Amino acid sequence: MTTAPEIQKTAHANARWDAVACRGVKKHFGEGDARVEVLRGVDFGATLGEMTFLVGPSGCGKTTLISVIAGLLDPSEGKLDVLGHQHGELHGTARVLFRRRNLGFVFQQYNLLTSLTAAENAAVPLIADGVRRGVAVKRATELLDRLGMGDKAGVMPKVLSGGQQQRVALARALVHEPRLIICDEPTAALDHKTGESVMQLLATAAVAPDRAVIVVTHDNRVFHHAHTIAHMDDGVVTHIESIKH
Amino acid sequence: MIGLALQMLRADRAKYFAMILAVALSIFLMQNQASIMMSVFAMTGSQIRDVSEAEFWVMEPDTECFDQVKPVPASALYQVRGTEGVSWAVPLTKIDGYARTEFGKLSVVTMMGVDDASLVGLPPRILKGKAEAVRERGTVMIDPGGANLLFPGEKDVIGKRVRIGSESLRVVALSDASAPFTGFPILHMARTTTLMLRQAEERDTTFIVGAYKPGADVAAVERSLRERFGLKALTAEGFMKSSRDYYAAQGIPLLFGLTIVIGLVVGTVITGQTFMMFVKENSRHLAVLKVVGVTARQFAGMLAAQAATVVFLGCCFGTALAAGTSELARELPFLRGVFLPGWVAVATCVALAAVTGVAVMVSFRTIQQLEPAAVFR
Repeated sequence: MTTAPEIQKTAHANARWDAVACRGVKKHFGEGDARVEVLRGVDFGATLGEMTFLVGPSGCGKTTLISVIAGLLDPSEGKLDVLGHQHGELHGTARVLFRRRNLGFVFQQYNLLTSLTAAENAAVPLIADGVRRGVAVKRATELLDRLGMGDKAGVMPKVLSGGQQQRVALARALVHEPRLIICDEPTAALDHKTGESVMQLLATAAVAPDRAVIVVTHDNRVFHHAHTIAHMDDGVVTHIESIKH
Repeated sequence: MIGLALQMLRADRAKYFAMILAVALSIFLMQNQASIMMSVFAMTGSQIRDVSEAEFWVMEPDTECFDQVKPVPASALYQVRGTEGVSWAVPLTKIDGYARTEFGKLSVVTMMGVDDASLVGLPPRILKGKAEAVRERGTVMIDPGGANLLFPGEKDVIGKRVRIGSESLRVVALSDASAPFTGFPILHMARTTTLMLRQAEERDTTFIVGAYKPGADVAAVERSLRERFGLKALTAEGFMKSSRDYYAAQGIPLLFGLTIVIGLVVGTVITGQTFMMFVKENSRHLAVLKVVGVTARQFAGMLAAQAATVVFLGCCFGTALAAGTSELARELPFLRGVFLPGWVAVATCVALAAVTGVAVMVSFRTIQQLEPAAVFR
């Protein structure tokens, strides 16, 4: 019999976020009449060794927030610290290289390259970082094996099921041993059973003492995997819950 | 990343082959048209080039190209021979006429009457028979085009007869004369035979060909002939250029140039369009690569590798097709002058690669403008 996790509300100001810390982050698109405020002063963070869930209704700004954290979008205002680097510290190629080496991504639609095998897909971050293709694919194959996909390493994505593709995507996010993993709705395209197994895998394979995992999700059936849940609505984080397992 | 880029390129087989085909057809079109144009212009100097011993050609001042027949005065030969700096000079008669065969074939022919003694003016290579045989009055040497046209299906034309005017001439040799610009059969014969035909104008010497004395001042010889005797003297190269320029002024390069440009435009538009479409359709994958940390430089390398592969393969196929077509054309007697110059092959490939480079830059810009955050949507 499992014990229900204990939920504790945390005040934003007192949070100790050592992986990602957003303070008063704002982001708007467009100008004048077309100006849309998507983030309206977000206080949010993630801690090493934990899985942080970012939840909220569609259009509340979750995707924009993770895009800002990933360095894919610039915040309009506010303070942002990712793995010890303040926003604005890194520009251009330096920012791309920082993302390449320190961040891993899992997407809702898997986004595997259809022309590459599962192992080659998983090896992309290593190859991009200059690791020789043979070595990179070997390391990716080993990781796929640990994720229960060893026999599918040479298979093209189109013949894999959704759950299998997401495992390959998970391998791609982990292969270069990043310190921060950002998952965008990783279970949205999967049935409950497959989604649960993917989340189980994420919890066991991705969570590590020196790594933080941020998961954006709508799927409240997987909330029990979270260490922290940040609730977002209308461009702000309304409250954060700590869950003791 | 280049290996991955090529794998991505090859995976979309339809576009991959469409791009290679577009490049190949464009290259073929450009090279084929350029080859025909170059060959046609080379043919304007065929009969000049064939008189390999001649360093200069003397003609009437109004003559601009080989195909214009305007004889020089009878005294011209001695005037040329007596000019300072001239080593030797011989007459060459060029007349056009109609030839008929016993099979009823009729064709306009170009007749070249060469000096009986020296035989200067005969083509450098004889395919069948002996060059000296034309010294016999009433005999001719025929070129492969002429043999094919006047004696279709005949394996051996030696001994066959052609009738020109009221004279029946016997074929004694098959020459390897270069294909002429006019496409008419070329009959070489001794000048005495030409005179026998009486089809020339009253004056019977069309050109005087010769060589300079070692160390002679070429310009001084030309000036002397012009000022003293009113004759035009050109080096063999100069006469070929003059012939080429004469025909070039008639708009031939413009027509071929237009086709070559169309080939370039069509090829690059299709290649560029398909390439940009390929990039656009792969934008989500490219955005993923951007998110996982592929740098602008790596993207540039990937695109360059993809474009280089397509252009290289397309150029290889296109050039092979153009070269093959040229070789096949050369099998036909009247198209034996068709050739594909190496520099044309290189220049067309470079031109296409350069324009495809623009498409690559546009595609690169598309990738640069790609919003990586779009992969989260």
